[in-house]
Amino acid sequence: MSDPMQFYISTLLIYLFIDIMGVLGLNLQFGVAGIINFAYIVFVAVGAYTAAVVSLGPDYPENFQHYMFGASWPFPLPILAAGATAGLLSLVVGVISLRRLRSDYQAMVMLVLSLIATLVATNWTGLVNGPAGLATIPQPLFDQLGLTPLEYQWVYAGWAALLAVLTYLFVRGITNSPLGRTLRAMRDNERAASALGKGVTRLRLMIFVVGGVIAGMSGAVFVEFIQAWSPGSWLYPETFVFLAAILVGGTANNWGVAVGTLLVPVAFLEATRFLPQVLYNGFIEAMQWVCVGLLILVFLWFRPSGLFPEKPGRFRPRPAAPAASQDAGAGSG
Amino acid sequence: MAAQSEPILSVRDVRRDFGGLRAVDGASFDAMRSHITGLIGPNGAGKSTLMGIVAGAIKPNAGTVMFEGQDVTGLPSHLIARRGIIRTFQLSAEFSKLTVLENLLVAAPAQKGESLLGAELGRLYWGPREAALVDVARGVLDRFAMAPKENELAGNLSGGQKRLLEIMRALMSKPKMLLLDEPFAGVNPTLTREIEQYLIDLRDDGLSMIMVEHELSVVERLCEPVVVMAQGKVISEGSMRDVTARQEVLDAYLIG
Repeated sequence: MSDPMQFYISTLLIYLFIDIMGVLGLNLQFGVAGIINFAYIVFVAVGAYTAAVVSLGPDYPENFQHYMFGASWPFPLPILAAGATAGLLSLVVGVISLRRLRSDYQAMVMLVLSLIATLVATNWTGLVNGPAGLATIPQPLFDQLGLTPLEYQWVYAGWAALLAVLTYLFVRGITNSPLGRTLRAMRDNERAASALGKGVTRLRLMIFVVGGVIAGMSGAVFVEFIQAWSPGSWLYPETFVFLAAILVGGTANNWGVAVGTLLVPVAFLEATRFLPQVLYNGFIEAMQWVCVGLLILVFLWFRPSGLFPEKPGRFRPRPAAPAASQDAGAGSG
Repeated sequence: MAAQSEPILSVRDVRRDFGGLRAVDGASFDAMRSHITGLIGPNGAGKSTLMGIVAGAIKPNAGTVMFEGQDVTGLPSHLIARRGIIRTFQLSAEFSKLTVLENLLVAAPAQKGESLLGAELGRLYWGPREAALVDVARGVLDRFAMAPKENELAGNLSGGQKRLLEIMRALMSKPKMLLLDEPFAGVNPTLTREIEQYLIDLRDDGLSMIMVEHELSVVERLCEPVVVMAQGKVISEGSMRDVTARQEVLDAYLIG
């Protein structure tokens, strides 16, 4: 394989693994717990900005970009800081919006939050350098490893794959457990779950924070790879790309949404880059959002449970012989 | 027996306004231990609102609700449930994308794998308790002759089966008292008779219940005592024979 091709493939793989992380986090919130988080990308962005500023070093007056909280933390602290910051923001947003509001209003609050966050990041130029965003974010351990850029690409792909696997295992720990069952019950009927003694507000808040931490960490791993981050990188439609991956793959099915990630953000959006230029420059790019929207509509209409539908819990079948004797016992008693 | 006549739940002077509408207007009644207390009255009498207040889903503007001698007025519904008062809903409230067995398992209180840490500790940690709960749930399914539906998605059940599922689910949470809001609505006569018998058995096992029901023949068969509401007030209490003989009850049904 030629070097440019290797660069291309490894980059796509890195995007895939990082997106799988992000989609698994959103699936936990939306697919499993039923929280319609239209602001998911904001938590990814906050994680990315956090990782960026704590690895860019302290800001100084002659710097070509300006930001707050500059520091030079070593790997892997920026990723942990990203998770912590996004989790903290999730907690604040969750306490305000998830306690009393109905879920459709929560969705509206999230959408508005997404728009506000973009405006704040763009116009408060001292925070994270406004519309120009941050650049020259160092890649973790690049100097220490002493690899060629191409070798580093493959190492990073392996690192992203490892994180995706760890995220998957963590998320599966929740979804396969009684906790996951209770969350799905809450999603299906919140009032009934509450009437059975489940503290739905606390559960929702907890899973919102867990999803936020995953979002923030995925943003950190992303920004440490592409080394730049600006408000244009996380416009609100990016959340809908993640949602499309979930709806196509299969809501509340971890494997399904991973496949959905391969199909939508990676394969589907990447394929459009190879289309010939038509009409005017940038037309294809503009049509991407339209296509993602149509994809969501088509799946909601024709296959709402996605390619790989949610799998209900399966239990060890009843032991055959004792069941018969149990019936006999019930009959006599 | 003394325990038989002792009230398990006492509602005193409960009031609830919705805007200008006074849905419940100073209602008071007692529900007896190991009895099915019937709550009847014309549409709009405030029965469902009063049930909602007892269950913690609606906060009263005034009045008190005492359960087993403790004040539970205004507690949120999940804390009321943990005290042992479990409600079923007027409209089916199954967890539709969970299997019947999973619906029952959800209701089990204080599961080991229900916290984030417990879940991540894995099956080795919560598996044994889960296996025990599966056995309990299967026992309940056997009792209600629903074992063949164990792995069916709850959303695919018939209306009557969903009512049964709700009662089974409520039992899994080890309730001291069930609040049944029209448990026979939309259920065919055969299944109605079956459910009636299940409720009588549960009562004889010592479970206390309050039941809102419009079908008076059912109330007559199951409920003792009966509480009659009209226009937010309790207008009569006693056995079905007594209350239906009273003029104010007849008036309420005719006018209401």
